[in-house]
Amino acid sequence: MAKTLAIVMFSGTADKFIPLGVLTQTAANLGLSVRIFVTGFATPYFTKNKPEPRFPKEFEDFVPKIHEGMERIKAPSWYDMLKDAKEAGDVKIYVCSLMAEIMGIKKEDMDPIVDDVVGATYFMQESGDAEIIFI
Amino acid sequence: MSGNVIKVDARNMACPGPITKVVRAYRKANNGDIIEVLATDPGFKPDIEAWVKRTGCELVELSEEGGVIKAVIKVVK
Repeated sequence: MAKTLAIVMFSGTADKFIPLGVLTQTAANLGLSVRIFVTGFATPYFTKNKPEPRFPKEFEDFVPKIHEGMERIKAPSWYDMLKDAKEAGDVKIYVCSLMAEIMGIKKEDMDPIVDDVVGATYFMQESGDAEIIFI
Repeated sequence: MSGNVIKVDARNMACPGPITKVVRAYRKANNGDIIEVLATDPGFKPDIEAWVKRTGCELVELSEEGGVIKAVIKVVK
């Protein structure tokens, strides 16, 4: 098993934030290091004024059932799962400097969960020989 | 010297909640302690087996009764 899980978080939709939380928490539980590179449409969700992620239109029909189910099983939010994983293990969250520039987001605008604003080179270097998964 | 028994109630928690709770207990536990877990997540059996393999702990008991899975783990550190 690899020692590091590297995730590129690109999609900013609610359905993708669930596996981000679950995979990060699970990897931290197993003692893996996790490196998350936030870019694309996911970027605004890692700022202090983060909006609530929305489900994509094509899955609209599922949304009430998902909300009801998550309520029923008291599923923690993606944010709480990431926060928890950071407290428990070696989890780092980096925001893509290119995307931050494009969207006019400054370092001080970032949510405290973010470790740094970095370029792709730094992320790849940090990820080492890890598998990189793209969400 | 026999270990302490640590009880973990992870009933009604979904993946990866039960394993997260087990990991928390394991981090605080000492070698030889016993962790007794109750869970209802349908994925808990294969998950706890995988976790035990990963950590080298000993799975003393894994049973299910009335939809509640019980795992007894001996901590090996």
